Amino acid sequence: MAFEFAFAVAARVVLALSPLGSYLQDDDQLSSPLTSYSRLQEGIYLFRHGVDPYSGGSFRHSPLALSVFSTIVPKSRIHPTLLWTFFDAVGAWALVNIWRSRSNIQKSERDMRIAAIYLINPYIFLPCLALSTSTLENTLQLLVLMFSARGQSSPSLLALAILSHQSLPAIVQLPPILLLLLSDPQSHLASPRSFSQSLFKCLPLFVEFAAFFVALLFASTLVAGGLGWVRNTWGAGFLLPDLTPNPGLWWYFFTEMFDHFRPFFLMVFSLHMATYVAPLCIKFQHDPLYATFLLLGVLGIFKPYPTLSDPGLFLSLLSLFPEIYPYLRYPVVTALLHLHAFLLLPLFHHLWVGTGTGNANFFYASTLVFGLANGGALLDCVWAGLRVAIGEEKDGWVVTQE
Amino acid sequence: MSSSESPSRQAPTPPHGLGRLRHNIKKSLLPGDNATRIRTRRRIVAFAWRYLDMLRLCLLSAGCLWLLTLPVSQLGVDTYIDENALQPSQVNTYWNWVDVHRADRLLEDVSLLRERNLSSVERATFFATEFAKCGLPSSTQTYSIQTSHGTLNGTNAYAVFSAPRTSGTEAMIISASWKSMTGGENLRGVSIVLSLAAFLKQYSHWSKDIIFVITDNHLDGMHAWLGAYHRPSSANWDAEPLSITSGVVWTALNIDYPGHSFSHLGVFREGLNGRLPNQDLINSFRTISQQTSGVPVLLYDHYEPSEFPGREGIRSFYPSWLPNWLWERETILEYGYRAKNILRHFAYQARGRASGPHGSFHQYRIDAITLFAVPSNGPHGFYALGRAVESTLRTMSNLLERLHASFFFYIMTTPSTFLKIGSYLPSAVLVAAALMIGGLREWVKAGWVELEECQSGPGKGDAADIPSSSKKKWAPRRRDLLDVFVVMAASHLVGLTLFVIICREWLDIGLLSFIILPACWVVLMLAPWKSPSLDSSVSTAPLHTLLKAINMCLASTLISVSSVLNFSLAALLAVTLGVPLSSASPSDSLPERGIKCALYTTLAFGWLAFHGEVKQGIWDWEVLGVWFSPLVCLVYVPLVLQAGIISSLSP
Repeated sequence: MAFEFAFAVAARVVLALSPLGSYLQDDDQLSSPLTSYSRLQEGIYLFRHGVDPYSGGSFRHSPLALSVFSTIVPKSRIHPTLLWTFFDAVGAWALVNIWRSRSNIQKSERDMRIAAIYLINPYIFLPCLALSTSTLENTLQLLVLMFSARGQSSPSLLALAILSHQSLPAIVQLPPILLLLLSDPQSHLASPRSFSQSLFKCLPLFVEFAAFFVALLFASTLVAGGLGWVRNTWGAGFLLPDLTPNPGLWWYFFTEMFDHFRPFFLMVFSLHMATYVAPLCIKFQHDPLYATFLLLGVLGIFKPYPTLSDPGLFLSLLSLFPEIYPYLRYPVVTALLHLHAFLLLPLFHHLWVGTGTGNANFFYASTLVFGLANGGALLDCVWAGLRVAIGEEKDGWVVTQE
Repeated sequence: MSSSESPSRQAPTPPHGLGRLRHNIKKSLLPGDNATRIRTRRRIVAFAWRYLDMLRLCLLSAGCLWLLTLPVSQLGVDTYIDENALQPSQVNTYWNWVDVHRADRLLEDVSLLRERNLSSVERATFFATEFAKCGLPSSTQTYSIQTSHGTLNGTNAYAVFSAPRTSGTEAMIISASWKSMTGGENLRGVSIVLSLAAFLKQYSHWSKDIIFVITDNHLDGMHAWLGAYHRPSSANWDAEPLSITSGVVWTALNIDYPGHSFSHLGVFREGLNGRLPNQDLINSFRTISQQTSGVPVLLYDHYEPSEFPGREGIRSFYPSWLPNWLWERETILEYGYRAKNILRHFAYQARGRASGPHGSFHQYRIDAITLFAVPSNGPHGFYALGRAVESTLRTMSNLLERLHASFFFYIMTTPSTFLKIGSYLPSAVLVAAALMIGGLREWVKAGWVELEECQSGPGKGDAADIPSSSKKKWAPRRRDLLDVFVVMAASHLVGLTLFVIICREWLDIGLLSFIILPACWVVLMLAPWKSPSLDSSVSTAPLHTLLKAINMCLASTLISVSSVLNFSLAALLAVTLGVPLSSASPSDSLPERGIKCALYTTLAFGWLAFHGEVKQGIWDWEVLGVWFSPLVCLVYVPLVLQAGIISSLSP
């Protein structure tokens, strides 16, 4: 296992050092304004020269990222490439550990396959080549899941607090993570039961998270020398100041919208993401890890500034739940939609931005195909996750939805 | 959320209170209870499954028929000018006989260059000197392009006229290549560019810089010059950096005037990799040419049937056995004329080939066309051409923003009519849809097996679950994709090897086609992969079904995605892949299998017999970066090979 893992990572490093990365760095699908490496470099430059990087509109990374990357500042292109590959390797390792916790075993045949699914997933791999900080967010996300699957509440909540500072929408998974910390990560999809613990036990965990969060808030304010960073980082998710196209569903609506409707729809779009938390937590209270997984799928579709790595994380996490595979209804259709979207996104982006023969509607159409693919995958996973409980159909019987 | 319901049971009695309300609403909206719904759904699925092949056939034939109807005149729309700022043919032109005279004097000098057989450096120096004589900053650029057959060398000459009233951030190009597309020298084209340089410089109303370029050879000179204008360096060409540059180039005109006079001006528009210029440019030029200088405009050098040589030209387009009365009919004649234009367009675009030096411009987002002065005994010459070019430049100078997006997707059927994207795109997409449905059908088929009753298997309420006779049962089976991916990877590897061999010319192409066709057939017939996996029919899906499913889905994706990028290529793929991939199936009898394998081998490698075409394709790839030949080797050949493999397997 260790050897194979090292081999897979080495293969990634070789590919990462090819000149491909420099072409991809500013690709709109791989890095959003909130995760772009070029913008991170600019922020570090401004920060070092005594200019507040948050006074302009270009730098939108969290002060935590700013402080980390300005201390271990990458000089050449090779350092960050290796660092980013390391992030992905850690992510893959965490994913394997989540699988081990879920299946409650020390070692299994599937370990290597799960790591490989993460490492060679193009949605994960390409943003890493483009040095998008969404790679780092994915790693943090997987660490959150790993720690909570192991029941280590403090590291898990700390990681979640850091992740929320990097990307605020991630905070919606706090409720299922708290439930996960109180229960166990094993699969209970086949035997649904109501949540056995008292919900009041969540309270100390929540307080702990809040403490971490506030501490990081202070640290960030200290680093940035004021609260100006809040508007530029978290605020960007609510106010959508930067309409650089991305594979998500927000940007096009807000380029087309009249300004007087903007605040209302910004509120609707932001609230909409939060509406999934309660239903998913209630329906999947017997398996909070699955609820978190579904919420990550929701975020991948409806985040204000997604990159390919957000749906990529959802698809890679799918490897943790082999028990639902027989109950997926249309996996081939979803796969084909993803194939089309994967080809159409760069193509239509090129037609619009590169050759100028197409316009924004072309790229928007391909993001819709992508949204359809992700939505299809998510809906199918919701269905299959619930369908597992009923078990295999008996002869002459049919399961139907009321 | 779910309830287990036997299809034969009656609906439960309605509950009280809120439940009843819900029940009543549901009853009025949905067709009855669960059992009825399941039955209805099964009936629909069974119906769809039964007629799926019919649907595929309908879609396939509709797509192919649609392609045949493209030349029908009812499908065409009249051209119009979309961009209001262009204002074509609204100016008085100043090009006059003095300028024609200067062009004639220059022509004498340029003809001398050819007679004295000067080298390209000497020629370019002469052109640069002539530009300098007009008072324009001018220079030359030497380039060399590495190919596997040696190095292409040449020298370009260019000059920049900075528009006196603007900042020089935008520019337009007027160019001529030393070689004409007819193969001879483009003497008059070069002379008129030199003369235009002296003429256009006199006026101060230009809103964009004008760059004059005289390139060496036919296509590669312009390719190297534009490459150096836009990029610092590239892997396969080595060009001197340009010492004089200007702003962003918006539009360009290339002039090709090989004869001594011309009767019509032909418009060539296809660029590299199937790119097209904005249609507004063509439409404005047509308006200007007809109204300002009175020269009729053609597509390519195809005369219209209403003109004198046109009727004869189109007659030769039809097979000779067609009865006279048929082609004499106006509609048939018109159909032939349009079909000829569309086929010429397809021939350029599908192969990604540029129809003139303007083809290199499009990749840099520059709208460009070549004006071809169709050689004839008269009546037009420098006077008419100069006026047309001057007025077109004025129109291009009027532009305030880039030409509109979305006016790039069209097929010109005549100089004044075109097909909109909506009237041609569905043809290829219908074929792609047929392939996709076929692929999904194979996929479903691979997941189920029909067993005798004794072997009880769970029946699922899925697409394949058809209410069958009491004896048979449908049982699910495993779909193992690993073998399929190995076979596919192997076939793509074959394509890659073939491409490398052709590029490096390790083997003569003629010899190669003699070796590879029979060799491939023999390999397919002996089929080392045929050793059947144990009890494949029951527990796991057979390789051929899975391979066919993936193969058809991939082909469908390829066609539908490429249809937006390069419609002609998509149509070509739809025609060559649609029916063959759909009809690939394993067979029991040896002769049938032999014939099938021979057919697929021929389809996959038959093109190797066209040596010149293959060499041209490789040249295009190496020099101009046209990805048609890699696409054929790496995508088309493997897809057809996979169909061959399917046919070589035993059912």
